[in-house]
Amino acid sequence: MGRLRRSRTHGGNRDVHRAGRTRSRTKDLDQIQLVDLNPKVRAKLEAQPLDFEKPGLAQHYCVECAKYFETDHALKSHWKGKVHKRRCKQLREPAYTIEESERAAGLGREGKRPTSTTVPAPMPMSIET
Amino acid sequence: MRIEKCYFCSKSVYPGHGSAFVRNDAKVFRFCTSKCHKNFKMKRNPRKVRWTKAFRKAAGKEMTVDSTIDFEKRRNVPVRYDRELVQTTVKAMKRIAEIKKRREHAFWKHRMAAAREKMKAHRTKKSEIKSRPSVKLVQPMTVESETVMVREKIKVPASSKSRSALIPGEGQSMGMDVD
Repeated sequence: MGRLRRSRTHGGNRDVHRAGRTRSRTKDLDQIQLVDLNPKVRAKLEAQPLDFEKPGLAQHYCVECAKYFETDHALKSHWKGKVHKRRCKQLREPAYTIEESERAAGLGREGKRPTSTTVPAPMPMSIET
Repeated sequence: MRIEKCYFCSKSVYPGHGSAFVRNDAKVFRFCTSKCHKNFKMKRNPRKVRWTKAFRKAAGKEMTVDSTIDFEKRRNVPVRYDRELVQTTVKAMKRIAEIKKRREHAFWKHRMAAAREKMKAHRTKKSEIKSRPSVKLVQPMTVESETVMVREKIKVPASSKSRSALIPGEGQSMGMDVD
């Protein structure tokens, strides 16, 4: 058999694929909101020891955007920018978690409070489990 | 065996189906299809994607507060097999499903009634705007002392028409004479 793949299937999406690799994953919003924004963790992240692998030796870190900067000036100008402000706005609303996905599916957790407060049932129920 | 829920769309993920992603903080994200996985990789918020359960719940399109929802639970303590218990449980599951279906239908009807009213109001408003004329007609200004100019017709004799230079005359051909 000859060549089966069509030509021109690339579509200039190389960078899209590369950005989607697990290797290049950045922190998720729920990780930042629930862990990194804690004052203790935040202080730790902002005062990291010298790391020669990271940009700017890991000295200029934006906690909200989970991003290292080269210089203090770059970090300060980033805080003024649109990208950072948009990120802060996203972080203000509660993050979506696995628990919420289960709750949306109607799957509760045992031992925890019920997902809903029992309302007076409009229909009679007689079930014993 | 456990039936998991999809992280993105909250559908059930049966054993042998879908895929899972384990984040470096040991959280397991399960996906029913590659569609959901791709959407996760794009870092979309399921609460803002209209086809997910999370959206429907957050937007008030489905029941969120109901006693029938509380039965399904992730139970981490195994129960010793008991024939009687299984029988009653299966019976209860059927009954609960029946009740849930009815309540969901009632909820939907209630929601649709509200939506219909809203739609009606919107339509009447729209038709009102439509029936209003878009152009305002203004009475033309009248000038009293107006003299009407009447042009007299001038007869032009047909023979005085000038011949077009493009039309070749009789006997004179544009081409070269060929011997």
